[in-house]
Amino acid sequence: MGTYILRRLLWTVVLLFFVTALTFLIFNVLPTADPAKLRAGRNQTPETVAAIRDQLNLDDPFLTRFFSYLGDLLFHFDFGTSVLNDEPVRPLIFEALPNTLMLVLGAAVVWFVIGVVIGTISAVKRGSILDRVAMTTALVAISAPVYWLGLVALYLFSSDLGVLGLFPAAGTYDASRGVFTSISSLFLPWLVLAAAFSAIYARLLRSNLLETMSEDYIRTARAKGLKERTVVFKHGLRSAITPIITVLGLDIGILLGGAILTESVFGIPGIGRLSFDAIQRNDIDIVQGATLFLALGVCTMSLLVDVLYAFLDPRVRY
Amino acid sequence: MSRSSLRALALSVAAASSLAIVACGDDDSGSSSSSSGAATTASEAPAEGKQGGVLNQLGASDVDYLDPGHTYYTGGYQVAYATHRPLYGFKPGQAEQVPDLAEAAPEIAADNKSITVKLKKGVKFAPPVNREITSKDVKYAFERAFSANVGGQYATAFFSAIEGAPTEPTKGVKEIAGIETPDDQTLVFKLSRAEAPGVAAALVMPITMPVPEEYAKEFDAKNPSTYNKNVVASGPYMVANNAEGALTGYKAGKSIKLVRNPNWDKATDYKPAYLDEINMKTNGADASVDAQQVLKGSAMALDTNPPAAELKQAATQYKDQYESVPAGGYRYFPLNTTIKPLDDLNVRKAILAAFDREAAVKARGGAFTGDVATHFLPPGFPGFEEAGGEQGAGVDFLSNPRGDMAVAEKYMKAAGYASGKYDGDAELLMISATADPGKAQAEVAKAQLEKLGFKVNLRLVPQDAVYTEYCQVPAKKVAVCGSAGWFKDFQDPQSMLEPTFKGSNISKDGGNNNLAQLDDPKIDAAMDKAAGLQGDERLKAYGEIDKMIVNAAPAVPFVWDKTTIIWSKDVQGDVNEYYTTLDFAFTSLK
Amino acid sequence: MALLEVEDLRVHFKTDDGVVKAVDGISYSVDAGQTLGIVGESGSGKSVSSMTVMGLTRAKNATITGSIRFDGKELLTASEDELRAVRGGPISMIFQDPLSSLHPMYKIGKQLVEAVRTHQDVSKARALDRAVEMLGLVGIPEPRRRADSYPHEFSGGMRQRVMIAMALCNDPKLLIADEPTTALDVTVQAQILDLLEKLKRELDTAIVLITHDLGVVAEVTDDIAVMYAGRIVEKAHRDDIFAAPEHPYTWGLLRSIPRLDSPRDEELVPIPGRPPSLINPPSGCSFHPRCPYVREAHTRVDPLLEAVPGAAGHEVACLLPPATRRALWAELSTGADPEAAKAVATAAGAGSGTGSVRREEEAS
Repeated sequence: MGTYILRRLLWTVVLLFFVTALTFLIFNVLPTADPAKLRAGRNQTPETVAAIRDQLNLDDPFLTRFFSYLGDLLFHFDFGTSVLNDEPVRPLIFEALPNTLMLVLGAAVVWFVIGVVIGTISAVKRGSILDRVAMTTALVAISAPVYWLGLVALYLFSSDLGVLGLFPAAGTYDASRGVFTSISSLFLPWLVLAAAFSAIYARLLRSNLLETMSEDYIRTARAKGLKERTVVFKHGLRSAITPIITVLGLDIGILLGGAILTESVFGIPGIGRLSFDAIQRNDIDIVQGATLFLALGVCTMSLLVDVLYAFLDPRVRY
Repeated sequence: MSRSSLRALALSVAAASSLAIVACGDDDSGSSSSSSGAATTASEAPAEGKQGGVLNQLGASDVDYLDPGHTYYTGGYQVAYATHRPLYGFKPGQAEQVPDLAEAAPEIAADNKSITVKLKKGVKFAPPVNREITSKDVKYAFERAFSANVGGQYATAFFSAIEGAPTEPTKGVKEIAGIETPDDQTLVFKLSRAEAPGVAAALVMPITMPVPEEYAKEFDAKNPSTYNKNVVASGPYMVANNAEGALTGYKAGKSIKLVRNPNWDKATDYKPAYLDEINMKTNGADASVDAQQVLKGSAMALDTNPPAAELKQAATQYKDQYESVPAGGYRYFPLNTTIKPLDDLNVRKAILAAFDREAAVKARGGAFTGDVATHFLPPGFPGFEEAGGEQGAGVDFLSNPRGDMAVAEKYMKAAGYASGKYDGDAELLMISATADPGKAQAEVAKAQLEKLGFKVNLRLVPQDAVYTEYCQVPAKKVAVCGSAGWFKDFQDPQSMLEPTFKGSNISKDGGNNNLAQLDDPKIDAAMDKAAGLQGDERLKAYGEIDKMIVNAAPAVPFVWDKTTIIWSKDVQGDVNEYYTTLDFAFTSLK
Repeated sequence: MALLEVEDLRVHFKTDDGVVKAVDGISYSVDAGQTLGIVGESGSGKSVSSMTVMGLTRAKNATITGSIRFDGKELLTASEDELRAVRGGPISMIFQDPLSSLHPMYKIGKQLVEAVRTHQDVSKARALDRAVEMLGLVGIPEPRRRADSYPHEFSGGMRQRVMIAMALCNDPKLLIADEPTTALDVTVQAQILDLLEKLKRELDTAIVLITHDLGVVAEVTDDIAVMYAGRIVEKAHRDDIFAAPEHPYTWGLLRSIPRLDSPRDEELVPIPGRPPSLINPPSGCSFHPRCPYVREAHTRVDPLLEAVPGAAGHEVACLLPPATRRALWAELSTGADPEAAKAVATAAGAGSGTGSVRREEEAS
């Protein structure tokens, strides 16, 4: 296990290197437009463009620029600066990260719980009205665009625009007010972000559980004289949920790169918003930094999931 | 879905780029409704507002720069004009510039080669500088804007006539001999060319906002300058800062907090400055959500055009909660006069005649987004009336906003196409952004050209490449730029017409803003002459130049944009036409 | 009174394709300490019938009728709670595939402890002691250490020993072993059978041994019931089944057992044809489509399970006249193939038409 983790960590480093190289290549060598020209504004002269190229070191050879970026990254943990307003990227990302974390982890708890509860009920009551209603709802939730769902949620439930006014309004999330004060502003975003995931997880768990419940060891458990509840929860769910935890880990990893739509609709200053705005403005260093974070998130979570899996499923050994 | 509050002053920005000539693809501020009757241009000065209160402005994007020497976009201008004293400024609802830091109108020498500006006494910098502002602070502001470190984006374009003005960005801040400060209240600009009226008109730009050298030089020594985060204010408001001057109220990409400048003296300023505090949210929620919150909420305003649905909602249900102003620019389809058959004046006139400009406006979002243009200088802009007002030059090929095929055929026949349609083999390369509304309006343009028998090769490229890589590069031989717009830098017609239509401004190496590559010696001569005129003569001259350009048919002018700002019911908003967004210094709470 | 008495048990499942008559009227009984072998192909209803005894086939779409009395108590009508008290307690069960029958994610000690504590109110430690004791009893070396292992860490035979230990840890009176050796290789099969035999002796547990392989039951059982298409077609003491089988299906099963004393090149004779559909069973004798000795009337008359004349405790459901059956088996047991046997039996005149007609008349 130890060597496995070590090997995986090394691979993560290698992978991150390639991600860095690739994004650097894409944004610096194959940009759609010259960043210096974009920055020079409409009254640009060749001299202004040259001065900006000089300022941004755009005239250095690619490798020089790449290794200087890499060097800053490795030795100073410096992600460069925003082309747009000269803000260093690292604090931008690190300020955005907790917000995305709060959003994603909270939503993950919501969708995992909802998904498992509904999936279990549906599987146990397979074919019942409850099951059909749940699965149809799930289909709707999966198909509903997050953006639309977000607006609907706001117009129904937010305190300022909503008909019911149950939850704080969009844009009220403010991490500086402290974790617990700001949590209430996250209820709606959690629900919206979790909607589609809950549905996917419910369907996944339902089919996993149905499959598990026809396993021989479930028959054994019943033959032991266990209560049906024990059979479902201790024996069935234990197996059905394990693969879902893997999926959960990866989903969280991907979302750490930002839940762009949810963050946009609710005005949550997370990584998604940051990189979305940056992409719109061709703000290379931010995009690159955010991409690296996404890659790091996915790598870390997938490693975590693999390690976790070894604990969850004793048959798995590395 | 993007909305950009980075609406370039100069242009309507591309969401994806900070490029200036933009034209489209960005702010989908359009409205599909055409009930434009409700849109008003409130030009009467508002009644006395209530003192005090906190305004919250919602927006989706940050300002470009807080540094007055660097900012060039609406968001940055909005903060700059609330927190600094330019030499001259604008009151909302008033097109003429008024003295701000200056005491009176600029004195222009008879030879048009020198401008003298007297400064007010008793205007002080905000903490931590606290001292009285002198002419040297303005001189330094100019000098630093020419440096590569600060990165001023228009200094060489509008102020190159100043003696000793660098022609390219300087390394470090270099003195400019042509800016003289005989005493603390006097500033003299010596010009190498007789262009004083144009330069004087540009003395409203943020480059004229004073910067204390002794405080700023350590920041300006860095490349890039870090003054952006240590700006010291001079206007009624200031970005909240600490004792050292660092801007604690500025959270990049999140928020900007403006508080009152304790050193601001109302007696020296024409601005009422009712509000106590302004919180600008620069990472707001979705545009629709923000707009809804503003309309239904309290003490809020939106930084830029709301989305179409909310625009319509405001116009119909919240009539007291918005103001529409001309955006101060024109959008056009340049016809590259160097490319056959567009080199033929009659062919170009035929294209203008056939063009359904209403369809193009509709593609941008309809009547709320702007009015169909009949020429270039936009409504409310100096020279607009002189150029023919809404009628324009009165030419037959622009008389029908829906296009007139009979007129078009007449010109095609005049061009030697007997059938009244183009029957040649040439294929016209049209470039447009992949995103709407740029794409939508380019498709309209393509259809219009095809009506006349032209073959059009419409190439869609990423927004940020449309100009820098294609339209602005003559070597790419783009026949028609599928979307272009030009917006004011200040209230002077010279800057609205020269960069885009003066033959001597054509830049073959790229960065060319004369997209049509119109090179008409008569027009150039008229421009040279007009540059030295002042007052009504000047406006008349540029009105005539506008007409001459229309008659040369180098482009299809199709829309004069409008900007609509919405606010909450308890807000008495006031939009400044100069930078086309809320004027914090004139807005109050009810 | 027998320990387990099954009477006219029917288990029908409604499915989208129709009603599956998985078990269609079977009766048998098992005495304390006795072993019953239930033999049949897959789909014959042998597993369903024993699962039904455990109450494991109860479902919305199942119709179960008849009677199952265990220790004098009716199980068919018992409540779920009552049944649960029986399951894994007085009646326990082991299954075919010991790997898939053990939960892969729990240590076997834990799984045994769970079984113990379901039926006995003891502490975890006591339960573990019991589990370890049982693991030792079934021949797991170092049982205390091995209790800490996961199922996948055991070999197939060891896993089945674990299953047996789990089944026995509450001192069951009846052990239902459903194909306990099928998934194991031959040498291990023998070990497991020996173990069952030994446990039966030592613990005095009755066993119902379900298998498709007559060879397996040969060593261990007292009585054997042969099932076909949801019914018992022949039931007798083990020795009678092997020495004087009466049903053509039983003959087929016997002929498909590899025998150590037969020549190596002798072909094993599988029963031709496929098991019948349980939704639309063949008319008449359900075995008739595969029976080499079928006569026209057999497709119309459904045979009853009847005592074989002159053989106490031997019952068979076959429409062939007893004399014919005996003549046929006499030939078959020498290794003759069914066609040859049929010819010889007919030539000997044993197949008297009258007998057959009488039986057919009786049946109709």
